[in-house]
Amino acid sequence: MIPATLAKSLVRICGQGAVIVDEDRLLVYESDALTAYRHRPGAVVLPRTTAEVRDAVTAIARHGLPIVPRGAGTGLSGGAVALDGAVVVGTARMNRILEIDAANRRAVLQPGVINAELSAAARPHGLYYAPDPSSQTACTIGGNVAENSGGPHCLKYGVTSRYVTGLTIVLPDGSVVKLGGQGREAPGYDLVGLFVGSEGCFGIATEIEVGLLPLPEGVRTLLGIFDRIEDAGRAVSDIVSAGLLPAAMEIIDGPTIRAVEASVFAAGYPTDAEAALVIEFDGVEAGLDGEAGRAARFCVRAGAREVRSARDEDERLALWKGRKKAFGAMGRIAPDLLVQDATVPRTTLPSILKGISEIGKRYDLVVANVFHAGDGNLHPNILFDRRDEDELERVERASKEIMQLCVDSGGTITGEHGVGLDKKHHMPLIYGPAELEAMWGVRRVFDPAGTMNPGKVLPDETAPGWPGIGGRGRPGVGGVDGRGRCDAVRTATAAMALSGLLPESQVLTGETASEWTGGMAVEAVLFPADADEVQAVVRVANETGTPLLPAGNGSWLGAGGWTDGGGVVVSTARLDSVLHYEPADLTLTAEAGIGWRKLAAVLRPNGQWLPVDAPGVGAGTLGGVASCGVSGPLKARYGAVRDNVLGLEVVTGDGRVLRIGGRVVKNVAGYDLVRLFTGSRGSLGVITRVSVRLFPRPEADVTMLFEGGVGEALEVARVVRTTSLPVAAAEMVVRAAGAGDRVAHVAVRVLGGREEADDVCSRLVAEIGAAPGGTVRGGEGEDFHRQRTAWEGRSPLVVRLAALPDRLAVTMRWGREVAGRTRGEVAADVLGGVVRVAGSPAGDGVAELAGTLTRARREMEAVGGTMTLSQAPRELAAGVGWTGGGGGGEGLALKLKSLFDPRSVLGSRCP
Amino acid sequence: MKVRHDTLARAIEEQEQRLRNCVHCGFCLPACPTYRRLGDEADSPRGRLYLMQAVVEGRLDAGSDAFQTHIGRCLSCRACEPVCPSGVEYGHLLELARQLGGNARRPALLERLLLRVFGTDWLARPAMLAGRLLRATGLPALVTRALSGRRTLRQRGRSGGGVKEPRLLARAAGGARLGLAMLAASAPPPPLSRSNGAGRSNGRTATAAGSAPVVPPGAATVGLLTGCVQAGLFSRVNEATARVLTANGYRVVPVAAQGCCGALHAHGGDLEAARDMARRNVGAFEAAKVDFLAMNASGCGAAMASYGSLLAQDETMGQRAHRLAQRVRDVSQLLADHGPVRGAPVPLRVTYDAPCHLLHAQGVADPPTAVLESVPELEVVPLAGAAECCGGAGIYGLTHPGLGSWIGSDKVHSVLDTGADALVTGNPGCMMQIGAGLALAGSRIPVVHLVELVDESYRRAGLYRGRAP
Repeated sequence: MIPATLAKSLVRICGQGAVIVDEDRLLVYESDALTAYRHRPGAVVLPRTTAEVRDAVTAIARHGLPIVPRGAGTGLSGGAVALDGAVVVGTARMNRILEIDAANRRAVLQPGVINAELSAAARPHGLYYAPDPSSQTACTIGGNVAENSGGPHCLKYGVTSRYVTGLTIVLPDGSVVKLGGQGREAPGYDLVGLFVGSEGCFGIATEIEVGLLPLPEGVRTLLGIFDRIEDAGRAVSDIVSAGLLPAAMEIIDGPTIRAVEASVFAAGYPTDAEAALVIEFDGVEAGLDGEAGRAARFCVRAGAREVRSARDEDERLALWKGRKKAFGAMGRIAPDLLVQDATVPRTTLPSILKGISEIGKRYDLVVANVFHAGDGNLHPNILFDRRDEDELERVERASKEIMQLCVDSGGTITGEHGVGLDKKHHMPLIYGPAELEAMWGVRRVFDPAGTMNPGKVLPDETAPGWPGIGGRGRPGVGGVDGRGRCDAVRTATAAMALSGLLPESQVLTGETASEWTGGMAVEAVLFPADADEVQAVVRVANETGTPLLPAGNGSWLGAGGWTDGGGVVVSTARLDSVLHYEPADLTLTAEAGIGWRKLAAVLRPNGQWLPVDAPGVGAGTLGGVASCGVSGPLKARYGAVRDNVLGLEVVTGDGRVLRIGGRVVKNVAGYDLVRLFTGSRGSLGVITRVSVRLFPRPEADVTMLFEGGVGEALEVARVVRTTSLPVAAAEMVVRAAGAGDRVAHVAVRVLGGREEADDVCSRLVAEIGAAPGGTVRGGEGEDFHRQRTAWEGRSPLVVRLAALPDRLAVTMRWGREVAGRTRGEVAADVLGGVVRVAGSPAGDGVAELAGTLTRARREMEAVGGTMTLSQAPRELAAGVGWTGGGGGGEGLALKLKSLFDPRSVLGSRCP
Repeated sequence: MKVRHDTLARAIEEQEQRLRNCVHCGFCLPACPTYRRLGDEADSPRGRLYLMQAVVEGRLDAGSDAFQTHIGRCLSCRACEPVCPSGVEYGHLLELARQLGGNARRPALLERLLLRVFGTDWLARPAMLAGRLLRATGLPALVTRALSGRRTLRQRGRSGGGVKEPRLLARAAGGARLGLAMLAASAPPPPLSRSNGAGRSNGRTATAAGSAPVVPPGAATVGLLTGCVQAGLFSRVNEATARVLTANGYRVVPVAAQGCCGALHAHGGDLEAARDMARRNVGAFEAAKVDFLAMNASGCGAAMASYGSLLAQDETMGQRAHRLAQRVRDVSQLLADHGPVRGAPVPLRVTYDAPCHLLHAQGVADPPTAVLESVPELEVVPLAGAAECCGGAGIYGLTHPGLGSWIGSDKVHSVLDTGADALVTGNPGCMMQIGAGLALAGSRIPVVHLVELVDESYRRAGLYRGRAP
């Protein structure tokens, strides 16, 4: 029961029918889709708007009561269960799609919108929302954001966090913060990425902006029937190793097949089979049959009894329906069901499956497996009857053993269902005290009072200040001015103390140091050889108050805004080994200092790559790419850097070593600190180890060049932006004025199978209505892109202007305006809407340049965009400001900075 | 209406078995019209099942406000059943739950009164006669027209961040208004024509099929459930059904001694009354020796199709009821099975609203479409949300005027959005509910039964020429 005064306020805020306090009526809110946990909430409130959520949360916070956000209650980890009489804030009434912006392929919606209904609403525009959890007909996008939901198609398209681009959140104290947003390069940490997957512990998302994709032109669905499940697993590995990238690969085992076939969703699988493998390819029609044919041959070779293909859309849907409703269909064969969710490296699938079946046998339990085989995301479902107490106990023991088995193979405890209440006690299986403490710290940044979905995700006994641990608390956050001003005492003595930590061969001082930095004055450059040495350096820097500048091989030292000089550079250049690379898993773990070219050389023989084409990336290191987090135009096809970094080892600013994330492609265990550190530009810690997701290098890589005047180029850009054809990347470049009428060109990059790429190219040429001036094929194309783009590491001034892609003409105009003052080149990511200008500020024209920049910022902000200085001389930056007005969440960013770098040792400003 | 103790025990046992099928996945939530509008888990199928489970477990009193309100608020449209991967028999569970609820607390007077009238011949007949007489005066239509365009209950209900059922007086006024509008809506539609005047008949008539078919020897015999409301207010639909079936080669025989199917009683939880009616009908239709039982009211069809489970515990009748129930067919199924015979063009643009108890409860999706497609020159435009309940739901509009008219008004808006000349459906309750809603919204779009449309096509084709209708 909640206090009557609170109930009254809630009624005043949300209306009579929107507040439930009757004990009996609250019964139905006892649990989510995991009924093993049942706790009756103190009350339920169903607001309709951000303002109502804000007022309701404020009112509840005033009474100090805990809050639990709830969507449709389809979660499988007990995340929406209200402990300790918490008040449930339900989003069921916040179910409006606020905007579908087809031109920019994005939508803005309330959190209660149902996943499948968003896709249905986008369909008339030729678009859809890619993440498709199996409960998509019922689950809400708000719930997807909280859990960072996956789904069968995230093998090719990635999980929820890739598509969430902006959020309005109500924090636990009732304050409202706007984060991110397309068309804006919001300064600061990736708070959107950090919030996604936070399981309702950081606040309530009340407005969500997502990216949409064009509907694929064609789909081919195959069904391989196997007599042995290991054979199906082998077919999956073979298909991936061959460089094919299906949209989805799903395995359904014998017991599940029999349950589905007995339900109303019978899809016509043979009930005597032991595995059914569903494979789907999508894309342009050309080449699809070839890919499907190859996959079918791999199935046969692996021992498939038969391979069917869906002949029409009805068959395809029926086939998927059976897979997607498998969970519910289990109710047919047993009264109770425990759904597990773990991700393992794909290559370990056959042995894990065998292990699971042995565990099942040992405990005399039926284990039915349904899983996203392409991602290695397993869902062993244990069937039981809770009235049988002995069986119940065996279920728990078997479940724990399965979990341990998956973790031992390099996997994680949850791939998409979340930790919630169910798995918080498994968190120590994959994270040590340091990581758990860091997660507690981040949680407290959002929720200092600890009232938001308490008792979830992190085991209580690991909390700082938990009785019995002795209050091993972090220094209070927020007390320190976290902005990394280089206010620490910088003395040569301190630098010497640091240098003394390492052998002489790992230290540069004086002239050799400035040579390494390309002229920037520093006390020393240190090259630690392992994470321990990095940790030692950071600790001493803390003791002596020496500013540190984390770096890779120094190709873009200005990335963190370090323009003052002084201090000590910590370079990871000596940390350059590959630690783990299993090509068939499509993942790699390496030390952070591995050079980009060396990395590419390791991957190339296996036909794989890490598709990042940020300017200057070739000169950098893997750690540098992760730290800067800057993506190039290929982001449109493969996601941003942050979407492909799976795990990190970092030494934080206060000298803690954290191993966060993992090396499996789907992992939602705990808060997404990987996203926080990715793109933090050395302001929170030194990255020492990186795990990334790789992709098969496409068979064909074609870049077409369309040249002409600026107007013509903009028209080409418009066609490329609005076509439904799969364009991997497009860049428009305008050379410095005075180079004749062919001053501009658009480079359009197409990737895929040979047949597919040829088809897309010829159709693009037809849509554009002009033949390309030139065509570059193969790896050359990659170099070509790197050469052509303005690169911060090489230019004293780089300005970035961003707005929604359909505003490119405006963004381009201001880009050229700035370029006119810097004699620079203008380059635009056509699909992303970002324009970069590189150049050098004219000696005497700095004042005019500053004026132009200020005006450009005003104009960009007027169209909802941003202008940021990526690289600039100090005096110019001081006059103009690195970034414009608050991107939202500035206060949160400062608290995060002081959480990980309380003494502001890391000299970089918050990016 | 006292439930015998052994029945109650059996009901609980039965519930326990069926309830355990629910895995609490939540797939049913978006299919539920009340959850979609109210957003309260307790107004969802999963929530209601949870409440039933709580009663079975002894954690909740069947007489509690929570149980009474949320079980009572269900439309019993059964849209949750086709989307349930576990095959939970929700409709049946709801009837049992209502029986428990009704046993714990007496239902409202209005509800009891209406059920009594429908279930008792000597009360139903004069009531229907009175209705027809009142309808014939033209008064209900007049009042409806006068009241159309007024601020609806739905608008009032929604402004409060939920649904607020009106107070007694307003409720009585609203109920009377809706009742009159529904009565008016049961009147025969005006001659069907394109509202925009375009696409008139080109005068071509079906010639091949133009002669009246002679019922072939060995033709399937069907008995028509004439129903209570159907017989009372929609006798023209019953007549059309007989004509259309005959034209398609069925031998339609009279079934004496039949009565109300008991659907409303079962939905209301008065299972004993429903069983009595079922027994009577089983006897009546058995005696008529028919191959099929033809239904033109899908609510009745769904009820009769489940006579088997309704009387499962009846030692003498159980098996017979089961066998009979298997022969229940909607008129659209019978027609689709036979072609159907093509009539003359009916150049109209229509839209089709699927009755819940046809689509969800009986799983009959394609036959009505096939029948519509067989009518020459009939243009069928899709209706957004056609699979969702219209809010009629038996006597729901009268027991839950606020929520009922909110749901009904959404249906009316989507019908208006289609720009159709007429709405076609297959259940008298839906016809009156949507017809009343359209009239109150100031629209003159007629609502017709599927067989009325086919009948019109046949009439234009001259299929009935020279025969007694």
